[in-house]
Amino acid sequence: MAHIALATGFILILIGLYGALTNRNILRMIVSFTVADTGVNLVIVAVGYLRGRTAPILDATLPAAEAAARIIDPVPQALVLTAIVIGVGITALMLAYAYKLHETKGSLDIADYRELKW
Amino acid sequence: MVSPIFIIAAGLGTAFLLGLLRDEWRAAAYGLTLAALAGTAAIAGGWLWAFAIDGAAPVEILTAGTPAPFAINLRLGLPEAALLLLANLTGLLSAVYLKDTLSHLGRRAMAVLLIIVMAMGGIILTRDLFNLFVFFELIVISTGGLILLSAERHALGAGFKYLIVSQLITILLLIGIIFAYHAAGTLNIDGMAAASLVMLKGGSLAFFLIFIAVVAELKPVPANGWALDIYEAAHPAFSAIFSAAVASASLFAVDKLLLIGGPAWLPVATAIGIISFVASNLLALPQTNDRRMLGYSSVGQVGLILTVLGQRDILGDSTLFIAGGILFSHAVAKAGLFWLSGLVAGRNLQDWSALRGQPLLIFAFVTFLAMLSGLPPFPGFYAKWELIHLLAGHGRLVLLALILFGALLEAGYLFRWFGYIIKGEQPTEVIVPARHKLSVAMIAALAGWALGYLWGGLSAHNNLLQTLPLLFALGFLLLEWLPAWIKNSLAIAGLVAWFILGYPGYDPLQLIFATIMLLGGALILMASYHAQGRRVGFYPSAMLMYAGLAMLIVAKDSFNFFAAWELLTVGSYFLILRGKHSEPHALSYIVFSLGGAFLILAGFALAAQGNSQFSIEALRQVAQPLAPWVFVLLAIGFMTKTAAIGLHIWLPGAHAEAETDVSPMVSGILLKAGLFGLFMLLMHMGKQQLYGVELTHVLMWIGALSALIGNLLAIFQEDAKRLLAYSSIGQMGYALFGLAMMNHLGWLMALMFVINHYIYKSMLFLSVGGIAKRTGTRLMYKMGGLITLMPLSFIAVLIGIIAMSGVPPLSGFGGRWIFYNAIMTAEYRLPMILIFLSGPIAFLYLFRLIHTIFLGQLKDEHRKIKEAPFWILLPQFIYVVCLMVFALVPGLALRRVDAYISQFFPQGALNWEGLTITSDYGYWSPVSIMVVVGVIFMTLFAWLLFVNRKAQKVKQFNIVFAGERPFRPETTHFAWNFFAPYRKALGFLTQPLVTGFWETLTDLLHTAADVARRFYTGNAQIYAIHFLAFVVVLFLLSRGV
Repeated sequence: MAHIALATGFILILIGLYGALTNRNILRMIVSFTVADTGVNLVIVAVGYLRGRTAPILDATLPAAEAAARIIDPVPQALVLTAIVIGVGITALMLAYAYKLHETKGSLDIADYRELKW
Repeated sequence: MVSPIFIIAAGLGTAFLLGLLRDEWRAAAYGLTLAALAGTAAIAGGWLWAFAIDGAAPVEILTAGTPAPFAINLRLGLPEAALLLLANLTGLLSAVYLKDTLSHLGRRAMAVLLIIVMAMGGIILTRDLFNLFVFFELIVISTGGLILLSAERHALGAGFKYLIVSQLITILLLIGIIFAYHAAGTLNIDGMAAASLVMLKGGSLAFFLIFIAVVAELKPVPANGWALDIYEAAHPAFSAIFSAAVASASLFAVDKLLLIGGPAWLPVATAIGIISFVASNLLALPQTNDRRMLGYSSVGQVGLILTVLGQRDILGDSTLFIAGGILFSHAVAKAGLFWLSGLVAGRNLQDWSALRGQPLLIFAFVTFLAMLSGLPPFPGFYAKWELIHLLAGHGRLVLLALILFGALLEAGYLFRWFGYIIKGEQPTEVIVPARHKLSVAMIAALAGWALGYLWGGLSAHNNLLQTLPLLFALGFLLLEWLPAWIKNSLAIAGLVAWFILGYPGYDPLQLIFATIMLLGGALILMASYHAQGRRVGFYPSAMLMYAGLAMLIVAKDSFNFFAAWELLTVGSYFLILRGKHSEPHALSYIVFSLGGAFLILAGFALAAQGNSQFSIEALRQVAQPLAPWVFVLLAIGFMTKTAAIGLHIWLPGAHAEAETDVSPMVSGILLKAGLFGLFMLLMHMGKQQLYGVELTHVLMWIGALSALIGNLLAIFQEDAKRLLAYSSIGQMGYALFGLAMMNHLGWLMALMFVINHYIYKSMLFLSVGGIAKRTGTRLMYKMGGLITLMPLSFIAVLIGIIAMSGVPPLSGFGGRWIFYNAIMTAEYRLPMILIFLSGPIAFLYLFRLIHTIFLGQLKDEHRKIKEAPFWILLPQFIYVVCLMVFALVPGLALRRVDAYISQFFPQGALNWEGLTITSDYGYWSPVSIMVVVGVIFMTLFAWLLFVNRKAQKVKQFNIVFAGERPFRPETTHFAWNFFAPYRKALGFLTQPLVTGFWETLTDLLHTAADVARRFYTGNAQIYAIHFLAFVVVLFLLSRGV
């Protein structure tokens, strides 16, 4: 299970990178990065997964004393939440940039924005 | 103490608070922003004080009440506090600078500014890897926002490129972090270091990903196209933060990571750093856009600091001092330059001439320039000194050479830029900087000086900002409002006073040099009384040069010697740059001089074998096989100053284009610094052999060739000052030859040339300068017949050339006499013949000075000119007196020196009994020679008067003119191309081969850089591919780790 998730995650990352590097349309690039981000998140969760254990929520069924032996590692899950939030922020910023770029030149082709070079 | 957590909390809290304010309350929001930044800066400052002054221990802040790894912990120690202060102050000053922009854009922009400063604080403080990631992402988002502050419309594109690359960085960083966590079981940096992550299964790859992601934030070459675009397009106030503060915080993050990576990763950091340093300085050469060039320079400086961090295995405890010195120099200077760039309207480097006429801004610019170039007395200088010494001590010579090469490239383009400011085309509009922007730039400049003082105090050496000569020179900066004549009197008084103070301590050799440099300098300064107005900039530069000279001759250890050397170099550069058309020559002067200085530095470092304290005396004890290499490095370094052939191309332009009273200073006095260095070198190291070649023999050849070629080049000049300049190359060649003979008479002859060259060259430069002032030209064929109009100048030139050509009775003859005695003892015949040959050549060019300027027909446009100004004539006649006295009683100066040299070469001393001087080969009786020559002269003169008494005066136009007026009238003038036949015969020797060589070299560098920079195509996807390729290549290379 964990290996499948891990592999899927990496495949998503590669698909995302491929998409971002081969598509010249800015919106497509942003979507590709979102795919890659999802892959990263999947990898993080998969790394933290432990076979046969339960969610790290302490309640009546899971006393604190037994927690260490019965739950999966909660840290990667906490990390992935943060990573998702940050990913959303960056995607939003990129979309705002795409909108502004389109406003200035009327083009969404990344190759059109090469005035700064050398 | 206020808990450091408030540095983060205050920034974050205020940013949220701004969101609650009404949009119209812009002033309140702005006030709040400034207050928050000032508050956090104050907290950081308070902690810095506690650590640095009170010696407090570093503190740990446990965010959730539990220790790591169960909660995130922050740590605050001395380096953290210093960096926090830097980040918060940069943020605060940029916020002040951005007053108008922020008020216009409103509270949201202010909130983003607060967030970026807060995020830097987080990066600096946190000890948690994931926390580090979060703060980096905050930097990304706020950078994305702040780039839009710029009015430049391309900024959008730059920002988007940045976001794309940071997506890639994020992916690597997150994957690296999760696998590092998986391997080590903790996210705490110290925990990972303790668990030695890189040794664990999969840990090495995880670390690689994290490391490369954080290093990418340092914008290493070649994965940095996006960063350069940001620098070019962003608002300068943001670039200041981006370059000074964000880069510093990222460097600190890399430093923390190296803790995990351990020693195996240090070479990787070094390699990335040094490649970035050299390559980006090379790529900066062909830049024309100021901000882009600053961007390249930023990348380079950060690369240098990364190199230093990578060398911590040998730098040990000094790492903090060195890295800090370079880092703070870079941060202050770069922020300052970006702030200044906001005041200049145009983006071309040439547009910076708008700064001209704004002494305050120029002062700030010079401060930043010196800080970036690592010149004294700024922190980078002390840091560079330690760094190079430690590298040399551990045999890392390739790295040492690369660092010095990169630094020279950087100095080259920075000083070229300064030349544009001072000498570029007069700006059309004058800039009127807003007061708050001006204050921000000035605060940065003053901070630079304060840091210089601090680093001087921290260093194991002399604090240069506590040395009297330097302070005296800098004091003139505060006196710029005074009229020139008051400053001139002060300067003269200062030089004389310093000489009197030092007099009891000088040994005879030092005394000779001190007399020439200090008293001689005061004498030349008398000519400066003719200048009108305030002459802004002249006195600080001149006195800086004299301060360097004064410190040079008494320097006991290599540090003081080198510091003095750099000071006099910089001072003289500013002086030379003052000439009307001297910009390109001043640039080649400073590049050659700094190159020479770096060789000297390398030589001292190699000799010292890692000790940063090294007395000059200890040069004697340098062991084989190092000694000859030290000798070569030092000798080449000193010969850049004496303009030995091959290294001479800066001299003619620099001396000829300088102002009237500057030419004698840089010719008569400055060249002697190089000779002094050579004296020191030969005195302490003596003869050295490299691969069986006797090095003093090589020096002798260089001296002979310099004499021959210098003199030959001089005879073909049309420009009188250029002629004198080339003749200096020849004269220094004689002196070098004498020194390299390594015997008693050779040294005495060299000293004789030191004295004589000072006197007659200063005198001739002054007279020719005075004539050029009156006639408005320096071309000799445009003059003529001035003998009746300028008789005093004529007398001075006549005496000068008699002295210089070495005919009796003046002191030049004494020099010649010692010289001929000396070469009789020389072991090598061929160079001796060359030097003999160059003697008569000197007559050829000296003759032209009299013949073409003073004799012949008076030009029509010169009919009404007057004698040279009094203040320019006065020193000349003092020189005439000196020459006479020195000719009559040379023993006055030479006797003690002769005895002094006997310490080193007991053989061959002269006998100074009575009025005659006796050598092994004969005797010289100055007084009787003077009497004999005087009698012959008077007899001939009387006879001439007698036979001429009936001569009829022919008016100038009592002749017939016929024929056509040629296209270039001067070609028919008999004094034009005067020595054409010689040129035909010997012209092949004067081909500008050396000039061609250096020009080709610089062209090559420029062309290479120009081709290489096309690598940055401007396409965001290409930049992303660069980054990925960088990661892959580095991964493959680091497998070897």
